[in-house]
Amino acid sequence: MDEPARLQPEPALALLKLYDDALPHVYGYLRARCGSHPLAEDLAAETFLAAVAALRRTPPPELSTGWLVGTARHKLVDHWRRVAREEHGLHLVHEPAEDHDDPWDAELDLLRAHEVLRRLGTHHRAALTLRYLDDLPVPEVAALLGRSLHATEALLVRARAAFRRTYEGAEDPR
Amino acid sequence: MSDPLDALRAPVAPEDPDAAFAAALRTRLERAVLDPGGAALTSTPTDTARLAWPPSVTPYIGVPDALRAIDWYVDVFDAERRGEPYVMPDGSVGHAEVGIGDAVLMLAGGAPGTPGDVPPPDIPRFSLHVQVPDVDATVARAVAAGADLERPPGDQPYGRTGVIRDPFGHRWMVQTPPARASRVRHGDIGYVSIGVPDAQRAKNFYGAVLGWRFSPGSVEDGWQVEGPTPPVGMWGGATAPEVQLCYRVADLAAAVGRVRAQGGEAAEPERKPYGRLADCTDDQGIRFQLWEPADG
Repeated sequence: MDEPARLQPEPALALLKLYDDALPHVYGYLRARCGSHPLAEDLAAETFLAAVAALRRTPPPELSTGWLVGTARHKLVDHWRRVAREEHGLHLVHEPAEDHDDPWDAELDLLRAHEVLRRLGTHHRAALTLRYLDDLPVPEVAALLGRSLHATEALLVRARAAFRRTYEGAEDPR
Repeated sequence: MSDPLDALRAPVAPEDPDAAFAAALRTRLERAVLDPGGAALTSTPTDTARLAWPPSVTPYIGVPDALRAIDWYVDVFDAERRGEPYVMPDGSVGHAEVGIGDAVLMLAGGAPGTPGDVPPPDIPRFSLHVQVPDVDATVARAVAAGADLERPPGDQPYGRTGVIRDPFGHRWMVQTPPARASRVRHGDIGYVSIGVPDAQRAKNFYGAVLGWRFSPGSVEDGWQVEGPTPPVGMWGGATAPEVQLCYRVADLAAAVGRVRAQGGEAAEPERKPYGRLADCTDDQGIRFQLWEPADG
């Protein structure tokens, strides 16, 4: 038997116990937001391995399925950030100048809305996913994206405009 | 104004991943969790969010049935469970802690249903746990002064630790906590900053009233007060006198988000030698800081 000298009980052990229950939630969250099956698996794996490290911090976070989903959200944002860096040049070209936030009265067809979301630029997709699918308040979206509140509000205005443009274009294919 | 995009709201819908993927990830996870400790363990979730480092000297007891003993201390002394018991494969407890008032009791012991009134033979009945700045120096001094060396200092995830038995028969677990260890918990005040127009005047005043002594701080006209808890710093050149409190938080990014969500202002966190710090102002204008210690 080991010398009983542990000041800090191994907190990551609880993660193994929670794993079977939590994995479908983490995977389901990611799958609904990133569409791709292999990507959802990669990010789920990243989430759980990052959780082991996080649980060894002092003080450790309170482990729960909700906390793991929050960790998955960070991993998803990290993924989008990597993709956005690669896409950067592309978006500079495509970013429309006249962005506005006109009132829009429509009832979304959810299937088409998700398809539209997938076709948007990564930073727009990220902002709308966090704000609407995850239903987070704007300050939390800003914190996750590492942007100021004002920059995030402006990004959301542009993202909504891009979404609407694409959605209405998709509604009326010419 | 209604927003059609609100319809996108998607609460988490559990979805089973591919079974082979789930099994492979479990194996990776087990390896990651068990690697440093080595032992296969089980545990039950408890409130671990408020853990702080124990005091400098902590009693360490061995008991026959540790889990039952913890329940007993919780019931009788209103003790608070600290973290999760470190349960070994045979059901015995390698380490557990409870908080009683401002103190901590550490314990280890046998599996549930352990017979008899003494702990298993490999668990000492009573030890003391002491934290020192340099475990190697302390252990060397102890041995030179007649202590028996039971275990030479070695690095552990919880800090460098050695065990001695003093000439009077008592067993000491001597430990240097990792740099990240702090008695300060989430929500506690970690630091007090006093801003004054004239630092020399304030040094004279508090030196006379409280006996404070000052050493030069890291910023221009900044002074570190020697001794008080929580630590106090003073800086001169403030336009108006003010006291700012610095609170420790468990997750600085999340806390900064909460400050903003509640109508306060928070600057972007800055990296400092002691962790990350964000200057904040609450929704009524009080300035304060949030601090997340550096990760060990």
